[in-house]
Amino acid sequence: MIRRGSNRYSVASVAMRVAIALAIAGCSDTDRPMTTLAPKSDLAQWIQNLFIEVTLWDALVFAIVVVAFILALFVFSTRVGEAAPASTASSDLGLEIAWTLGPVLILLMISVPTIRTIFRSQPAVPPAGALVIKVVAHQWWWEFDYPDGAKTGNELHIPVNRPIRLSLESADIIHSFWVPQLGGKRDVVPGQINELTFVATVVGMYPGQCAEFCGLSHANMRFRTFVDSPEDFAKWDRDQLAGPVATPTSNQLASDGAKVFADSPCTTCHMIQGVSKGYIGPDLTHFGGRTTLAAGVLQNTPANVAKWIEDPQAIKPGANMPPLLLPGPKLNALVAYLESLK
Amino acid sequence: MAAQPKPLPVHQPSYLEGGGIVGWLTTIDHKRVAVMYLASALFFMAFGGIEAMAIRVQLWGPDNHALSAATYNAFFTMHGTTMIFLVVMPLLLGFLGNFLIPLQIGARDVAFPRLNALSFWLALIAGILLHLGWIRGGLPDAGWFGYANLTERYFTPGLAIDWWVIGLLVSGTSTVLTGLNFLTTIIAMRAPGMTYMRMPMFIWSLLVTSILILIAFPALTIGLIFLLFDRFFDTHFYIASAGATPILWQHLFWLFGHPEVYIMALPAFGIISEVVPTFSRKPLFGYPMMAYSICLIAFLSYGVWGHHMFATGMGPVADSAFAITSMLIAIPTGVKIFSWIATVWGGSLRMTTAFYFALGMVLEFTIGGLSGIMHASAPVDLQQTDSYFVVAHFHYVLFGGAMFAILSAFYYWWPKISGRMLGERIGKWHFWLTIVGFNLTFFPMHFLGMWGMPRRTYTYAADMGWTHLNRLETVGAFILGFAFLLFYINIFKSLISGERAPADPWDGRSLEWSTPSPPPAYNFATIPQIRGRDAWWILKYGRAGSRGVAAYMSGQAPSPPPSEPVSVEHIHMPAPSIFPLVLSLGVGMMGLGLIIDWYRIVIMGALVVVLSVIGMGFEYPDYGQESHDPEHAPSSGGIDVRKIGVWSFIGSECVFFASLISTFIVYKARSVSGPGPEILNIPLTSLSTFILLMSSLLMVLALAATQRGDKRWERIWLGGTVLFGLIFLCGQAYEFTSFVHEGMGLTTNLFSQSFFVLVGFHGAHVAIGVIWLSVLLVAAITGNLGKSRATSVELAGLYWHFVDVVWIIIFTLVYLMQAVPGA
Repeated sequence: MIRRGSNRYSVASVAMRVAIALAIAGCSDTDRPMTTLAPKSDLAQWIQNLFIEVTLWDALVFAIVVVAFILALFVFSTRVGEAAPASTASSDLGLEIAWTLGPVLILLMISVPTIRTIFRSQPAVPPAGALVIKVVAHQWWWEFDYPDGAKTGNELHIPVNRPIRLSLESADIIHSFWVPQLGGKRDVVPGQINELTFVATVVGMYPGQCAEFCGLSHANMRFRTFVDSPEDFAKWDRDQLAGPVATPTSNQLASDGAKVFADSPCTTCHMIQGVSKGYIGPDLTHFGGRTTLAAGVLQNTPANVAKWIEDPQAIKPGANMPPLLLPGPKLNALVAYLESLK
Repeated sequence: MAAQPKPLPVHQPSYLEGGGIVGWLTTIDHKRVAVMYLASALFFMAFGGIEAMAIRVQLWGPDNHALSAATYNAFFTMHGTTMIFLVVMPLLLGFLGNFLIPLQIGARDVAFPRLNALSFWLALIAGILLHLGWIRGGLPDAGWFGYANLTERYFTPGLAIDWWVIGLLVSGTSTVLTGLNFLTTIIAMRAPGMTYMRMPMFIWSLLVTSILILIAFPALTIGLIFLLFDRFFDTHFYIASAGATPILWQHLFWLFGHPEVYIMALPAFGIISEVVPTFSRKPLFGYPMMAYSICLIAFLSYGVWGHHMFATGMGPVADSAFAITSMLIAIPTGVKIFSWIATVWGGSLRMTTAFYFALGMVLEFTIGGLSGIMHASAPVDLQQTDSYFVVAHFHYVLFGGAMFAILSAFYYWWPKISGRMLGERIGKWHFWLTIVGFNLTFFPMHFLGMWGMPRRTYTYAADMGWTHLNRLETVGAFILGFAFLLFYINIFKSLISGERAPADPWDGRSLEWSTPSPPPAYNFATIPQIRGRDAWWILKYGRAGSRGVAAYMSGQAPSPPPSEPVSVEHIHMPAPSIFPLVLSLGVGMMGLGLIIDWYRIVIMGALVVVLSVIGMGFEYPDYGQESHDPEHAPSSGGIDVRKIGVWSFIGSECVFFASLISTFIVYKARSVSGPGPEILNIPLTSLSTFILLMSSLLMVLALAATQRGDKRWERIWLGGTVLFGLIFLCGQAYEFTSFVHEGMGLTTNLFSQSFFVLVGFHGAHVAIGVIWLSVLLVAAITGNLGKSRATSVELAGLYWHFVDVVWIIIFTLVYLMQAVPGA
């Protein structure tokens, strides 16, 4: 099979690819939300195409090795005590050339699409119309800053079918940004800005996780990416830019909670627009609208929020957030307030 | 008629007998040193194995609490560090390499027996230092490749990383000395007639591995030194806010790290190339290509380090280059796999446990190599790196490759080493349980990686779909643990009641099988004459090849009755020495004192080290007491082995200084503030440079005087060299202090720290040279030098000239080129 250009395949290789894709898709992404085998972006698709190619060549080589191994061990040899050995040949130029050149040719087949994909996936300048989002990695949470000033933590929203350029910075040490369904990972390195460029092609929610060991709670540095329709994204963006949702007067608990928050040490580290200016921890202005907390570790429910506030270290060892000891009613009020910030 | 080994007049004690505890503490016999390495490695392997099992217990289920996050992170760090530095490398090099190199090349010991013992004791001290965190300060917990800037004191305070840095520095020193020793031994001490193309393939692999060690470890040393300085002396080699980059650590580490995995893989390949031909009763297929492929793999291994950094944003050109080189390295590796299979093909197979493990290695390593091809494709790697996919890959190549080879080697050579056979029945159980356990533990990891499970995570969420495979892997790990238990039991049983081993239980092909099991301390009664590859096979069966073998197969005894017995009284073996142990204890004191802030202990340790070095230098007043066999000329064509040793050392020093100089060039213009090269005083430094160069001239004159027996001028020129060296050092001291007065100290900015560390280390080398020459001067003055010891002067001269050449490079790049814009 000789590939000429990216659009012509022999029937056999198409059939093989379909079979493999089906087999892989059988490991569906609903069961395995972090799978790399269900591409939802152009980048992830290119990577998977390359992965399938390499896997096929690998499978071919492995089959040859296994067959040769079995033949050598069980067919074309004798056991000690049986007849004398068939031959003591210890060289064969033809064979040695074949098993040197063969791999060279295979690697050539792999290297050409590899280099093409490398260059295609790392454009020097952002594509036209790209949405450039600054990502700042902290120990152990993710900050997302939008060009129009919207700020959020641990839940990234992006529009479908529009080029995204993530501009990755670190606040402390090396982390790695990885959303498997949207493409490969890119390290986040202090002192340099790394970039990840892709176009998400399917609306949905895709989990991600830090992929470079970054200390005690590396395992707890998770996040979610929401690929929204253009309308949904625009609405979300507007809501983020707006100030905090006013607490309805009917929600007494939440109003009490607002006072608890304003008087608490929380204001040192967390920002709620118009209320506090802390920037050490995630921005909480629209915390109630997020699906998870503690960087993707817990579902965002009142019980979990309370658990988190009382003892962050129990959930996330090493977290910079100190425990907050509040009597029950005050804690409940605070939780209600935070959950009301949609 | 084929020559046969002659029997000995009386029972010769084996190397294991005699001497008591003191005998073992002062031994320099390569076989005893090998056994000590084995004991130490088996001890640390238990630690590394238990750490692995604990990891698997914690990962049994999601959100598990068997281990805390802190313990888990320490355990995966120690598992990797222990298995690589304290188990696999010591087993391949310190144990198997040490035991077999002299026996396979027909020598009586290695080139530098006391250095060999020193390597062992340093390795043991390193292992202890790495584990002292159990007692105080906590275990290292930043991963076995400890990325900056997590390892900076700000992010990881406490002693844990300090133990790691010091432990690895000591371990690295031990390994470099071993590389130097092995390289010199293989070059200089092969039996007559053993050309390079007649060496056993295991020796080929160790020859090339030794070169890899010498050129790879200095990069790690420099990386660790920078981290040490950051943690102890407040420099900023890896801190971005000072203009530096943590990526420097990655470059230095992987420049070491990738050759390191070939340091583990090549000896493993060498082992398979010994075991497979023996049990196929056929010569190794494609010997020349096997030798060349080892060389090509080693050469290419220096060009691939960036494939560990595909995710760091090096840019598409670098990514493509490293992808290509990483794919290229698969080609010589594939040649080896096919050649081994071709060796089995058509053979007359003897299915022993050793052979099983070797065959298993071929298949498992192939799997690991194929997943390596996937990693080589950079875009694919961006999904796979830092996930369980790469954990699968490296366990297939390191465990399925190196460890399987070690286990094969064990079953193969244990009879020779211990004089006992290992049980074949337990062996087969050990093998099959290992195969099942190993594949059950590591094959599913490919899938976990494809399903997005990151590595080094102490727990995972229940809704990710990872739970079932993790459970399976934990079961596999326990099967594997049980298999290793069987292994330890097999060893134990064999020592207590194992069947006594004959000299040549496998009808082997190489020279070690011509000695008794276990061998006497002196290895060979007479050094054999080598007539071809598979030297022992030829000695047994002649070059007739299959005719000789056919004779064996038809039951004819291969050997005629021996003639007269041979005398062994003339064999003179090197004398034991306490200095390797004492020197290592001094190094341990220095490391310990530095970490726990007892500076008196550091100074005492340094004193012990210096005195031990001098003691070792004078221990044998006549070079010859530590000599090797005068029966045959060195295969290096008459070059004194000590010169080869010094040249090997110089080779590794080149990489040491190249790393320092490269860092300086990269960092000198990145200071955020503070003085730059304009602070340098070129006229003054030109003068001190001239003095240093003239000292080299004086050194040449000193050597010439020594060689012609002119004692007076020998002393004058030596004294002059020392004096000029001291003047240079005084000039440096003046320069450094004046910089401090002008406001540039060690930690002022990137320029200052790179400058002081580079020039400071060079100055330290000059100082060591001055001490060395002063010792020689004292020897000359007291009448103990002289023409017969001219080589000692020549060795010092080699070192001294090297240090001068390095200074010329530093002077040019640091001082002169700063006047060139953009340099």
